[in-house]
Amino acid sequence: MPITEDHQEIRDAVVYEVGYLVLPSVPEENLPKVVSSIVSIIEKAGGTTLDSEDPFLEELAYSMSKVVGARKYVVDDAYIGWMKFEATPDVVEGIKNSVDKIEEVLRTLLIKVPRETSFTFEGARKARAEKEEALNNPVPEVVEAPLEPEVAPAGPVVE
Amino acid sequence: MKKVDYLKDHHIEYVDYKDVDTLKKFLTPHARIQNKKRSGVGAKSQRALSMAIKRARFMGLLPYITR
Repeated sequence: MPITEDHQEIRDAVVYEVGYLVLPSVPEENLPKVVSSIVSIIEKAGGTTLDSEDPFLEELAYSMSKVVGARKYVVDDAYIGWMKFEATPDVVEGIKNSVDKIEEVLRTLLIKVPRETSFTFEGARKARAEKEEALNNPVPEVVEAPLEPEVAPAGPVVE
Repeated sequence: MKKVDYLKDHHIEYVDYKDVDTLKKFLTPHARIQNKKRSGVGAKSQRALSMAIKRARFMGLLPYITR
């Protein structure tokens, strides 16, 4: 069957983002190992990483649970991180399944995203801090000195 | 009076599920998604918003419900 333009488009790489939660029981020094295992899964599947943000501890909106072996973890906070990568659509499902299988990973979300990164947790944190600082230390209003009453020019008083 | 489209006003082209501060503006006090009439955004943006909120809920960034 000849390769038509439609077929070529399917083969073209698409930008995806994998968001993941890591169990809080994982020591902070082991986090780079988890991240590198995700990178290796992506690279093994022929994808290329474009952008990422390192995981940091964040309180969850509700408690989640994960069973590892005979142990059930119920957590109220987790390390959250994301990674943007480029890959062909046929390998994406495999990437998602492999990331899900990492023991330390609590939850993953794999979605299609635009190439440009418009949001980072770091940027949002900075913006929030700036906003709070501006609220706590409002810029003092410049009070203008009251105008002195005009003095009538001294001159000969005509009676 | 027509409500101002917050997303257009703030030049937000892509609604990211991680942008919790923006998404929270479109939730009711019970953490339900505001309807189109209340949120004041266009149909396309409303669909993008609800998708982003559902993704944020899945990732534990937003609650499914609050009392």
